[in-house]
Amino acid sequence: MSAPDPTRDAGRDPGSAELVRLVAGREISARLRDKNFIIGVVLTVVLLIGILGFQVAVNSGGEEPRLGVVGDTAQLGPAVEAQGQAIGIDVTVVPLDDEAAARQAVETGDVDGALLAGGGPAPELLVEDRDATMEAVVNAAVSGVAVAQQLAEAGVDLDAVPEVEVTALAADDEEDQQQVLVAIIGVGLLYGLLIMFGQFVAQGVVEEKASRVVELLLATMRPWQLLAGKIIGLGVLGLAQIVLIGVIAVGGALAFDVVAVPGALIGTVVSVVLWFVLGYAFYAAAFAVAASLVSRQEDLGSVLTPMMVLLIGGFFVGIQAAADPGGTLAVVTSYVPGLSPLVMPVRQAAGEAAAWEVAVAVAVMLVAIVAAVRLGGRVYAGALLRTSGKTKLREALRAERA
Amino acid sequence: MLEFDGLRKSYGDNQVLDGVGFAVRPGSMFGFCGSNGAGKTTTMRIAMGLVLPDAGEVRWQGRRLDQVLRRRVGYMPEERGLYPKMKVGEQVAYLARLHGLDRAAAARASEEWVERLGLGARRGDPVEKLSLGNQQRVQLAAALVSRPEVLILDEPFSGLDPVGVDSLAEALLDQVRSGVPVVFSSHQLDLVERLCDSVGILARGRMVATGTVEELRRREAGRLLRVVVPDAAPGWATALPGVRVVSEQAGDTLLDLAGHADDQAVLAAAVRTGRVAHFAWREPTLVELFRGAVADPRTEQEVAA
Repeated sequence: MSAPDPTRDAGRDPGSAELVRLVAGREISARLRDKNFIIGVVLTVVLLIGILGFQVAVNSGGEEPRLGVVGDTAQLGPAVEAQGQAIGIDVTVVPLDDEAAARQAVETGDVDGALLAGGGPAPELLVEDRDATMEAVVNAAVSGVAVAQQLAEAGVDLDAVPEVEVTALAADDEEDQQQVLVAIIGVGLLYGLLIMFGQFVAQGVVEEKASRVVELLLATMRPWQLLAGKIIGLGVLGLAQIVLIGVIAVGGALAFDVVAVPGALIGTVVSVVLWFVLGYAFYAAAFAVAASLVSRQEDLGSVLTPMMVLLIGGFFVGIQAAADPGGTLAVVTSYVPGLSPLVMPVRQAAGEAAAWEVAVAVAVMLVAIVAAVRLGGRVYAGALLRTSGKTKLREALRAERA
Repeated sequence: MLEFDGLRKSYGDNQVLDGVGFAVRPGSMFGFCGSNGAGKTTTMRIAMGLVLPDAGEVRWQGRRLDQVLRRRVGYMPEERGLYPKMKVGEQVAYLARLHGLDRAAAARASEEWVERLGLGARRGDPVEKLSLGNQQRVQLAAALVSRPEVLILDEPFSGLDPVGVDSLAEALLDQVRSGVPVVFSSHQLDLVERLCDSVGILARGRMVATGTVEELRRREAGRLLRVVVPDAAPGWATALPGVRVVSEQAGDTLLDLAGHADDQAVLAAAVRTGRVAHFAWREPTLVELFRGAVADPRTEQEVAA
């Protein structure tokens, strides 16, 4: 057997990239076949579409009053619509034939009110119940038309009436508010996905330890290759999910005209997605390392607690930052690795974070990720083959592959 | 040659391996015996790179076994390990790919081995749905699917029914016939005796005996004497110099003679008790060799003294 028998040749030797890709591929296909995961994704999307639909319904549904007009709709119609617009109501004018038709239309609820401006000395408004807004709109319209008529008869030139020009000092305010709202939803989503995919990573690590398949895997690859494949595979899925949600949210918001400034919305969504990538890399490494210390799913809860506390803390600080994006708490925590992915997007959306601040937060986070992966890789390697009970962190560091 | 050379390993004060070494020829089967905790699993884990030895190395064809070379080794760990929720066929194919087969070759090899080990109908079932015996077959398929050049199996026969033992034995002999060196550990010494070309007995971190079963027998031959004396009183042989009574049952006596003991004196003593129905040297079974080899030498000396 000095020369290797060619029929036995196992083929090429897979390199690191190939092994990592194989592990990642297995993680993805295993999750895609997990019914619970698919149901979760579908539910999230359905929920999101539901929220969008609700927004659309609130913004438009039922709030457009209809006014029937008997008689001179040519002049009164535009006047009523203009008055309505002035106080922010889209009034629809419906021409009606006579008083009988008007009464019937009001009674059946086809219109919210009917204005009888036929031959009578004074116009009359028919309503089911008294409605101050409607009355004010109609009154203003009727008197406006009457005044205009009388002025025209008196020969006054109407073009001379000055129109007030409006300049809003707090122009961006509402827009920023909207971005902050989007950021809060984004941070909530980010928090949910980080916890979910962090748990996936942790469960996967423990599953391999509990089923002892890890011994078979480590006979063919190094611990860091297994760790990298697992994190990347699940990360791709997580990223796909948050991008899917982002696309649906932006697409829906644009299609239904829910947001004022589409560009800002897209910016906020993109920053949330990028922060997800950083947050996931950090937490996935941390969750994997913690999970490698135990050998049963039941013990997972206790070792994951510190990371969970950090995540939940970050989530609440993020919500708080929405109310006070320039506050000390928000500013400081937006640099703390682990918290920054949940706080910085809110500050960015509120327009409170300068570009250099974001850059610093990203840099600090990247350093933390490198540290977590390197330290984590050592602990993981040391603890992976200790399949009995719990391993202490220090033992694992010392026992790397011993 | 597959060579285990001077392996040492200690965990703290506990010296688990203290210079373990043996060699296995290609196309031969090596039975690795030893009591629980003797260090068999640690030895195999060192070969698979799962444990770093304090000293020594494992070589295949003169090259130190490293991560690349290890892909050509089929391994079955002592604690069986498979993904419980993964389908049988896919699992075996996945492990084949980790050993370097490409997608198509892995799928083909997986199908072939799953079929050969009688699991064709269960190919699409998750492993956790299979009986333990069938899971063991999947484990074997996982070890064989990459067409390994070397097989290292830790307790492959444990937990199998007699039919399962036979089919696994047949599969291993098949591998041996095609030139693969096979190392397996087992407590079933009759099986080791039947299958293996050579045997190694590990005790207290050292190899206390290595060689073919024949060689071990020859080394121990001329020591065990079976004498059947139906009329003798119990304990008839205890006073003879250099003789230890291994067992005695209604006159059927097994005696262990030290080097200087005189077998003719034993015969004379037997004749004195009355009729002698049987008097002959006996070839030791592997079980007896094993007992003799792993017995703590100090306690043996005390008994002999």
